[in-house]
Amino acid sequence: MTLSERLVALIDNPLISKDAVSRMRTWRAPVTLTIYLGLLSAFGYASFVTTTLMAPSQRTGSALIGAGVFSYLAFIQLSLVSLFAPALAAGAISGERERQTFDVLLVSRMTAGAIVFGKLVSSVAFMLLLILSALPLFAAVFLFGGIDFEQFMVTQVLTVTTAVSIGAVSLFLSAAFRRTLSSTVVSYGVAFAGMIGTLVAGLLFTLALMLRAPGGVNGTTGDAHPLLFANPFYALFVVLNDPNGTPMHLGRLIQLLFFVNGQPATAGPSLEPWQAAVLVQLVLVALSVMGAVHLVQSRRAPMPWRPPVPPEPVGAGDGGGPGEPAGMEVGS
Amino acid sequence: MIEVQALHKRFGSQVALESVDFIVPRAEIFGFVGPNGAGKTTTIRILATLAVPDSGTATVGGIPVTDDPHGVRELIGYMPDFFGVYDRLTSDEYLQFYAACHGVPHRRRRAVAHELLELVDLGERAGDQVDTLSRGMKQRLCLARALVHDPSVLLLDEPASGLDPRARIEMRELIRELRRMGKTILVSSHILPELEELCTWVGFIDRGRMVAAGPMADVRNRVLAGRRLRVELVDADDIKLFAARDQIADRPGVIEVQLVENSLEVAVEDGFADQDLLTALVHAGVAVRSFSQVTGDLSEAFMRLTGPGVERQR
Repeated sequence: MTLSERLVALIDNPLISKDAVSRMRTWRAPVTLTIYLGLLSAFGYASFVTTTLMAPSQRTGSALIGAGVFSYLAFIQLSLVSLFAPALAAGAISGERERQTFDVLLVSRMTAGAIVFGKLVSSVAFMLLLILSALPLFAAVFLFGGIDFEQFMVTQVLTVTTAVSIGAVSLFLSAAFRRTLSSTVVSYGVAFAGMIGTLVAGLLFTLALMLRAPGGVNGTTGDAHPLLFANPFYALFVVLNDPNGTPMHLGRLIQLLFFVNGQPATAGPSLEPWQAAVLVQLVLVALSVMGAVHLVQSRRAPMPWRPPVPPEPVGAGDGGGPGEPAGMEVGS
Repeated sequence: MIEVQALHKRFGSQVALESVDFIVPRAEIFGFVGPNGAGKTTTIRILATLAVPDSGTATVGGIPVTDDPHGVRELIGYMPDFFGVYDRLTSDEYLQFYAACHGVPHRRRRAVAHELLELVDLGERAGDQVDTLSRGMKQRLCLARALVHDPSVLLLDEPASGLDPRARIEMRELIRELRRMGKTILVSSHILPELEELCTWVGFIDRGRMVAAGPMADVRNRVLAGRRLRVELVDADDIKLFAARDQIADRPGVIEVQLVENSLEVAVEDGFADQDLLTALVHAGVAVRSFSQVTGDLSEAFMRLTGPGVERQR
C-alpha cells in the first residue's frame, strides 16, 4: 500500500460517515449547535456590555474592549467544550455494545485500531463543528483589536486539543465500561479533575513552592507548579494576558513537579504554558487511543457476561417446540 | 468446512462447553439443536472468533479460529442471536456501511446492497429507516448484512427466534436458497421441528456436550431405530386393521406394526422402499385412505436424548 492509499483508507473509515449521517439526522445535532452558540453569544454579549460599562471613559479604545470580550469568549468556549466533549464521546463504544452491534463490528474486517480511530474522529468531528461554527463570533470580536493573530490562533488550537483529549479519554472509558451511563459519569469526573482539579491543586502547590522558597515569598522565583503550568485554563490566561509570559525548561518543570526548589535546571526545550498544555494533551490522546485499541482488541470489556436475558415471551409464532426458552443462555 | 473437536470452555465456575465435536461438510445445512443454555451460542461465538476456547480446536475452511481469526472472518458471515440495528440509517445505507466494514470496494457497495436487499425481499424498503422495519424484516436485513462480503460459511444463531410463522417460513426458504448458492450453513435453534425439514446434517447439544451429530438420516437411524409410516384405512375397523397388519408384518424391512387409533403405524428400517408396502396392501385388497411418514419423531428422540435438561430451569 502506498502512502496515499493508506491515507485514503484512513479517511475512508465507514464508522465516520455512518456516525456523521445518523448524528446529523436527529434533532439533537441542530439543538446542540443552537444551545452552544446561544450560550457563547449570550456570555459574549454580557461581557461586551460589562466591559463597555466598566471602561473608565467612552473614549477607551476598542482594543481594550476587544481584548476583554475575546478573553471572556475564549474561557467560556473552553469550559463549554469541556462540558460537551464527554457527552459526545463517552457512549461511542459502550453504545455499540448496548445496541448489540459491537460483535458484528468485531467480526468484520475492521481492525481494533480502525474502530477506535473511526469512533474518535466521529465524536471529535462534532466538537470541531461546534468550534468552527463559533469562529465568526471570535472573528467579529477580533475586529475590535487588542488581540494579535498569534493569540487568536493559540486560543483555537488550545480549544481543539482540549476537545480532542477529553474526547479521547472519554472514548477510552467508553471502551473500558460496559454501560454508557458509567462511562459518561466517570468521563465527567476525569474532565473535571483535568480542567478544574489540576488548576486548584496547581495553585496550591505553586503557593507551597513560594512559601518553601529559601528566601520566603520574597526570594521565590515565582515559577508555577507544572500542574498549574500545563492547565489549559492557566495556559489560556497566560496567552491572553501575558502577565510574565515566562517559558520554562522541561528540566525545570520536572524539578518543580517533585518540589525541588534549587537552582533552576535548563535541560530540555523551553516551553510556554500553552505548549506544555498541548504536549500533555497529546500524550493523553496517545495513551487513551492505545488503551482503547488494546481493550477493543482483547475484548476485555466483559463481552461474554451479558446481563441475564429475560426469557423470551412465548409468542404465537414461537410455540410448539419441545425446548421452549427455559432460562438464560450460559455464557452468551 | 467446519470442524470442531473437543471444545471446552468455562466462564468462571460455570462450565459452558464440556466436550463439543462435530463437522459440517461443504454446502450442507447443519442444524445445531439444544435447549437454551446448552452451549450453542458459546460454540458459535468461538467459531465467529468472538470467544476463545479453553481447550480443543475449531477450524473453518481449514483455518483454526484461534490462530488466524482474520482469515476466518473473511470466510464467515455471522448473525448473532441478539442483534441491534442502527437507528436513523436506511436499509440501503445499513448494508453499504457493513459492506465498507468488510472492505468491499467503494464502487461495488451500492450494487452489493441492492442485490442483497432483493435477495431478502426488502428491495422496496431500501429507502426506509431500519428502525421502522418489522422484526421479521430486521432479521432478514441482518441476514443480508452477514452476506455483504459473500462468505462461504454462515453462522446463524437462532435466526428464526421471535418470528411469526409466516416470517419463519420466509427465513427457512431464504436459508435453502443460500444453500443452493453453495454456502455452508450452521443454524441453531432450541426448537427442533423448525430445523427438521430444513437441515441435512444435525447435531444435538445438551449441557455443553454433544449428544449426537451427523447426517440427518444417520442420526435419525441411530436414535430412532428406523422410520415410522402411518397407514390409514377406509372404514377402518378392527377386522380390517388386523387383516392389513397380517399382510405386512412379515415383510422384510418391517420392524413392527402397531395399531394406533384406527390406523397402523409401521416401523421400518431405513432404506425401506415405502411404495412396495403400499403396492402390497393394495394388491391384497386393502382400501388405503392415506399413507404417510410419521413426522416429529426426531423431536421425541431429542427429548429422550436430552432428558430432563429440556425442562430444566436455570
